[in-house]
Amino acid sequence: MTGFLDLYSEKDTFLHRLDPRVKLLAVALISVLAFILTELLYLVVLLCFILLLLVLARSSYGKAFFALKFVVRFMILITLLWPLFDRSGAPVLFSIGPLDITEPAVWRGATSAVRVGCFATLWYILMFTTSQRDLVRALVKLGLRFDYGLALAISFRFIPTFGLTIESIKDAQRARALELDKGSILRRSRNYVSILVPTIVYALRTADTLALTLQSRAYGAFSNRTYLREIRMRASDYVAMTVVVLILLLPALAKYIYGVQI
Amino acid sequence: MIPRPDADSEDRVIFLRDAKFTYESGVEALKGVTLVIDKGEYLAVVGGNGSGKTTLAKHLNGLLRPTGGQVLVMGVQASTRTVAELARVVGYVFQNPDHQLFCRTVHDEVSFGPANIGLDGPEVKRRADRAIAVMNLSDIRDRPPLSLTLGLRRRVSIASVIAMEPQVLVLDEPTTGLDAREADELMAIIRRLNDEGTTIVLITHEMKLVAEHANRVVVMMDGKVVLDSDTRGAFSDLGLLRRSKLLPPPVTQLAHRLSQIGVSKDILTPQELVFELTRGDDQ
Ligand SMILES: Nc1ncnc2c1ncn2[C@@H]1O[C@H](COP(=O)(O)OP(=O)(O)OP(=O)(O)O)[C@@H](O)[C@H]1O
Ligand SMILES: [Mg+2]
Repeated sequence: MTGFLDLYSEKDTFLHRLDPRVKLLAVALISVLAFILTELLYLVVLLCFILLLLVLARSSYGKAFFALKFVVRFMILITLLWPLFDRSGAPVLFSIGPLDITEPAVWRGATSAVRVGCFATLWYILMFTTSQRDLVRALVKLGLRFDYGLALAISFRFIPTFGLTIESIKDAQRARALELDKGSILRRSRNYVSILVPTIVYALRTADTLALTLQSRAYGAFSNRTYLREIRMRASDYVAMTVVVLILLLPALAKYIYGVQI
Repeated sequence: MIPRPDADSEDRVIFLRDAKFTYESGVEALKGVTLVIDKGEYLAVVGGNGSGKTTLAKHLNGLLRPTGGQVLVMGVQASTRTVAELARVVGYVFQNPDHQLFCRTVHDEVSFGPANIGLDGPEVKRRADRAIAVMNLSDIRDRPPLSLTLGLRRRVSIASVIAMEPQVLVLDEPTTGLDAREADELMAIIRRLNDEGTTIVLITHEMKLVAEHANRVVVMMDGKVVLDSDTRGAFSDLGLLRRSKLLPPPVTQLAHRLSQIGVSKDILTPQELVFELTRGDDQ
């Protein structure tokens, strides 16, 4: 329950060093590319490229496995379900009762699955290689209001703590012989109140303390605050940005200007 | 540390045999703990931060299951029982009372545990009333527990556990955040519970509490029990205590300093020191 949002691990790879704004741009542009591509073959090539990035990000096996498990499950689900709902086209491969499974639908299912795989893996790479602090800083740099950015950073920061507290609350009630998944529905929902109330009280108390802490550190005293660590684009960041733009631009030009089927 | 072979198994309420526990994160929090707790004991578990005290305590009522070795509660494998079943025998009071309080009145809060173990209405009420009386909460039985002071909230949370009338009561740092008077009152109540036959397992950092109340001390260090002795014996080895990041109570430290002039090193309370010093004058 905890830890799943803490995907980031401190490493020294070019993906970790990249300006977080460039990484956000890359996620956006490569996602657009995955939308533009319609041929399964090219999408698979793109997915391979993204998986290569995942390897280059040197993410730990545990985390990569955890992430890919979800992605792969989702992809399989899409591949299997798509032909059931999309029955257009011919030839019909086979029929299950009234359902006709057509060949184009199977291909479309696989294509969508690979596309979704691309999106999801991209996001995982971003989360693996960018600390939440950098991510928030990038968003603020891109024009997000600082207080919203701070709120976002604080929520990220408190999710694991919150998870641990909920675990502890559950244990404390179990020590009073609470059995969460036993009894009627009514009984069960009443049982959950014993977890919910302490959790809400804890959240409110934490928020209160946090507000005081921020104020006592002069939060909001000046509107134009300075930053300890500025993020700045370096030459390598511009190179990476150019590469990313080209990765989208070239296939897009080929498709829309020259009419190449990709 | 070796389980006493002469201990009658009837008296043996808890028996850990080479219990090991590793958290999912890979932290090895217990590295083979063997511990026998007899009925009616007042046992203090001490040790530095992260030495594994809480992890050990959570094994006593099944909140954690050993990843190696065995835990027996009343002679039965704890692993074959649910937490709810073990809760009738081993009461566990969490460090933070706010992790359990949720009812509208103190009385409701205290009734929660007995109701969960399936007792009928009159018996739930009898036990709740008794627990409220034991913890001196009768005046505030209809107040909302969440709006009480920390000292009272802690007492309510203890009442809500002893209302299940467990034979063993585990208290994790029960005096943190309490002022001296509240702490003294609480310790006096726990003392009384022990006199009435409840086995007490007290987890604490405060060596003064240990010296004044416990009759046996288990020192933990780095997931292992490094000392298991009666309270007097525990404070005689300053070196071991220091390695376990512990200090005996000031009066015992003073006694150690005064040992050149013949004061015995196993002094636990100021009264004993005064006695020792005045006796020295007589000679
Ligand atoms: N939920 C958990 N997940 C992973 N590791 C944990 C967890 N709880 C405790 N640990 C680790 O297990 C070790 C023992 O922790 P434990 O809480 O038992 O120590 P403790 O003696 O109770 O310390 P304290 O005096 O701080 O309460 C520590 O290294 C701690 O970091
Ligand atoms: Mg602890």
